[in-house]
Amino acid sequence: MCELTGLTACKTHSRRIFLQGIEKTKIVMDDPWMECMDHCIAVTKEAGKMIREALQKDISIMQKSSPVDLVTETDQKVETLIISSIKKKYPDHSFIGEESVAAGAPSILTDNPTWIIDPIDGTTNFVHRFPFVSVSVGFTVNKEIEFGVVYSCIEEKMYTARKGKGAFCNGLPIKVSGQEDITKSLVLTEMGFKSDAQNFRTMMTNMESILSIPVHGIRAPGSAAVNMCLVACGAADAYYHIGIHCWDMAGGAAIIREAGGVIMDITGGPFDLMSRRLITASSKAIAEHISQKIQLFPCGRDDTEN
Amino acid sequence: MAEWTECMNFGMAIAREASEVILEAFKAKKDVMLKSSPADLVTETDQRVEKMLISSIRARYPAHKFIGEESVAAGEKLELTEAPTWIIDPIDGTVNFVHRFPFVAISIAFAVNKQTEFGIVYSCVEDKMYWAQRGRGAFMNDVSLHASGQQDITKSLVVTEIGAERDDVALSTMTTNIMNLLKVPIQGIRAVGTAAVDMVLVATGGADAYYHIGMHCWDIAASALIVQESGGVVLDTDGTEFDMMSRKVIAASSMPVAKRIAQVVRAFPCARDDECPNGMDNDCHGISNGQCCQGI
Repeated sequence: MCELTGLTACKTHSRRIFLQGIEKTKIVMDDPWMECMDHCIAVTKEAGKMIREALQKDISIMQKSSPVDLVTETDQKVETLIISSIKKKYPDHSFIGEESVAAGAPSILTDNPTWIIDPIDGTTNFVHRFPFVSVSVGFTVNKEIEFGVVYSCIEEKMYTARKGKGAFCNGLPIKVSGQEDITKSLVLTEMGFKSDAQNFRTMMTNMESILSIPVHGIRAPGSAAVNMCLVACGAADAYYHIGIHCWDMAGGAAIIREAGGVIMDITGGPFDLMSRRLITASSKAIAEHISQKIQLFPCGRDDTEN
Repeated sequence: MAEWTECMNFGMAIAREASEVILEAFKAKKDVMLKSSPADLVTETDQRVEKMLISSIRARYPAHKFIGEESVAAGEKLELTEAPTWIIDPIDGTVNFVHRFPFVAISIAFAVNKQTEFGIVYSCVEDKMYWAQRGRGAFMNDVSLHASGQQDITKSLVVTEIGAERDDVALSTMTTNIMNLLKVPIQGIRAVGTAAVDMVLVATGGADAYYHIGMHCWDIAASALIVQESGGVVLDTDGTEFDMMSRKVIAASSMPVAKRIAQVVRAFPCARDDECPNGMDNDCHGISNGQCCQGI
């Protein structure tokens, strides 16, 4: 169809239509996943709007694995919106979605194009109307993250990154602070109750160890995906966490890397999307310093039974 | 009282002017000095903004008194009298400011006969003007604010500060308090790095409680009134009446939540803002030139 006249057989613009078709084919051939990313951004925007509308109303809450593991009807509705929209356009693609994974069941990442989705990252924040709530989507092919989209929807900040093409917030390029000196860094993490007393103690000791380096301070905004984006845009210098999930990390991982930051395992080894833990930082020096200070505790893996 | 409305409107106007200086500096590289510890930062912008605010107020209200964070750090006496007094933190969240972490606030409270008449907290990166006048409610820009009303501690989201204090006793007390609250259990702990903004989040209903030990009167005087006017409560961490000079506060959506937090948290020893504990050794007041603020 001619974009100018709307006619299906527009002789006046047929050459233009022909050239537009060539252009589109060229774009797809150069970057086959760009179209997926554009679709992702559009559906994530819609999801964010749904979340903002839900914030105007009463929110009824259900508990998942514990009194602090909350889910709402909005989490489920948003995930259904995203998955059904993507399935319609890409019926052969796979999904790992927080609300679709049954409690305790493993999430298996295959080589197939896979969308890894957290419909509301920061559900506790959402329930309380605390201002950091995001939709997070990471897209993998052959187990490599090709792009990430994180929409911090109360702030209306859309963070995006396509592998090899930089990271952006609302269309403007972002990059990490570049800070290399841990004593001048601002560090993000999250704290939650752990039923295992030893693990709980280790989590708090880790925080004390980081503070004692010393660092400038620790912040806890309450959404893993937003935390990763705060490091990506230079507002913080590091984020570490033991106990999150692949759907919390997949979108942010692309954004951090494309913003020039570093992402690694807590042990200092390569980042493992299914490991349920990470360090992201503005520089290798800071990431490694944090890795040396953190004691591990068991947190399971997303790709095994829990 | 209506007679202070003019002062309050003036306070908001100068807060907006001062925010332009802050936002300009926000984007630039900053030279940072340390005050009492590696976490207690000050910049030239803190000092410039405080001078700007005080000189504007003095020009308009020459008889009024001041308590300002950077003036006290420079050796001025910290004393709250019956006289109309402006209590100012030019940049609450200096660490955030240095890092461009987007919560930075100008905090201005005004007290007469030692009672807070109005409070202004301008979260300038977000362009959110939180304010309250005694007896007249609390607002963000022109939207009325209401605390969440949450009465059940197990459904509460609690905000605090992490890392403002660095000596061993303060640090271990801080982490013990967090652990004990998480065990209650509460729904979560958050920290955004400025006492003033942390507290107004309780007034908005976005959090159910805030507690902290070690901050100063200029950090909380304005936001304490904003919380009260939104229907929330403020107490000392030991459950007794709030005292802005005590350097301890619980702000909460309801008395049951506030009292429950008071049962759980423990304070570490901390000199009051209106006392000098040991003469020269006064790092609690953030003294940068080695002189005691009380002139001893």
